[in-house]
Amino acid sequence: MTRDHEKLSAFLDGELSPEETREIELALESSAEMREELESLMASDRAAQDEFAAMLDEPVPIELASKVENAPVLSAANSPSKPSSFTWLTAIAACLALIIGGAGGYLAGSTNNTQLASAPGWLEDIADYHRVYAGQERHLVEVAASEADHIETWLTKTVGARVKIPDLSQHGLTFRGARLLVAAGKPVSQLMFTDELGQVVALCLIQTDTPADGFTQRTIDGFEMISWGGANANFVIVGDEGRADLKEIAQTAAVDA
Amino acid sequence: MLTLQVSRTERYQSHRSSLASAPSAAMNWCAFSPIREVNLSQDLKKQLIAMLPRLRRFARTMTRSATEADDLVQEACLRALSRSDQWNPDHPLDRWVFRITRNLWISELRKRQVRLGQGHVPAEETSELVNRDTGEETMAATQLKGKIAALPQDLSAVLLLVSVEGYSYAETAELMEIPIGTVMSRVHRARKLLAKEIAEPVGADR
Repeated sequence: MTRDHEKLSAFLDGELSPEETREIELALESSAEMREELESLMASDRAAQDEFAAMLDEPVPIELASKVENAPVLSAANSPSKPSSFTWLTAIAACLALIIGGAGGYLAGSTNNTQLASAPGWLEDIADYHRVYAGQERHLVEVAASEADHIETWLTKTVGARVKIPDLSQHGLTFRGARLLVAAGKPVSQLMFTDELGQVVALCLIQTDTPADGFTQRTIDGFEMISWGGANANFVIVGDEGRADLKEIAQTAAVDA
Repeated sequence: MLTLQVSRTERYQSHRSSLASAPSAAMNWCAFSPIREVNLSQDLKKQLIAMLPRLRRFARTMTRSATEADDLVQEACLRALSRSDQWNPDHPLDRWVFRITRNLWISELRKRQVRLGQGHVPAEETSELVNRDTGEETMAATQLKGKIAALPQDLSAVLLLVSVEGYSYAETAELMEIPIGTVMSRVHRARKLLAKEIAEPVGADR
């Protein structure tokens, strides 16, 4: 194997200098053998990418995710005047309780306060995730919108309920891609959309055997959330607090997702 | 053909650019405080959980065993969380955690080597250690499926980083602690071996 042949791989990876790139381009123009070898390297790449992509479809053992989720964090031991995480979590819980008590009936005739009172912790986790990822302009998603089919297959398989990407373009929202989250110890699909101002709206889905009845709106940690139950799953749409069109977006998603 | 090369290059440059300049919500928390610490650690935990599929894939290219890969990923995540004060949210998380994962694995291989009485081994040579003396590599390799399973460990990890994760040769060299020229030759060898495997598959059911 010569250095020149290795340069073909480097050419494929965009790792050559402009001069070296030009040399390879000239060689490719004049040599059928070089072109054949480049094609062969590209076929290898495609095979590798397919196989490595398939590995992401394998479900993560819930024990592994739980161990990471339940691992202690550094700050609890090191902060001299540590504000206990208990206080922090309690504040969220109190906030949730207030909203549970006060936000019923937002969507007329469809709210079920009994279910609100037993609202699962997954929504708090979703709020945390949204705070982290909505600020990640370039790393907004784990798998890009260009792989929409793969996203639906992968997340449906992993979450255990049908994941379909809804068309929210009538609300000015563009699908950007997806992430897999873990909330309340279960896998959650997160589909990310942005509007023309770059504001992020996320649609999350968690499998459940007891889907919620009707729609519920609440605010958690500065984010507006509207949740509802569907076939074998609970859904929540998340946007910035005060976003006026979230209700309409939720209704479209409930029909199309 | 050349068009394809350009599109790949652009894709990688875009990815690299994103790795280099990823903004973070945490950047805006200007005041350092215990609350910020708690939030950073919680953010780190959630990002690690979201990264688990990629971490398991990276670990498996090194361990060749799904079970060992999960043990390695768990240890790496716990190590990252215990050192969350060293995490700079302005920098890409994957590089930091991949490095922790890789270092833990090298450390494990070195421990195994010492137990076998063969002394210290440089990082570049540790791939040669993979259960070589126990014959476990061949058995464990069956847990890496398809054509990738035909690749030696040192080739599959580098191919994953370059061809799938979009790392540059320089970034891969830094992470794997090998020279850039070695990255180039390993990527090429990996592709050639895969090409051979595609042309002449060995065994229909691996």
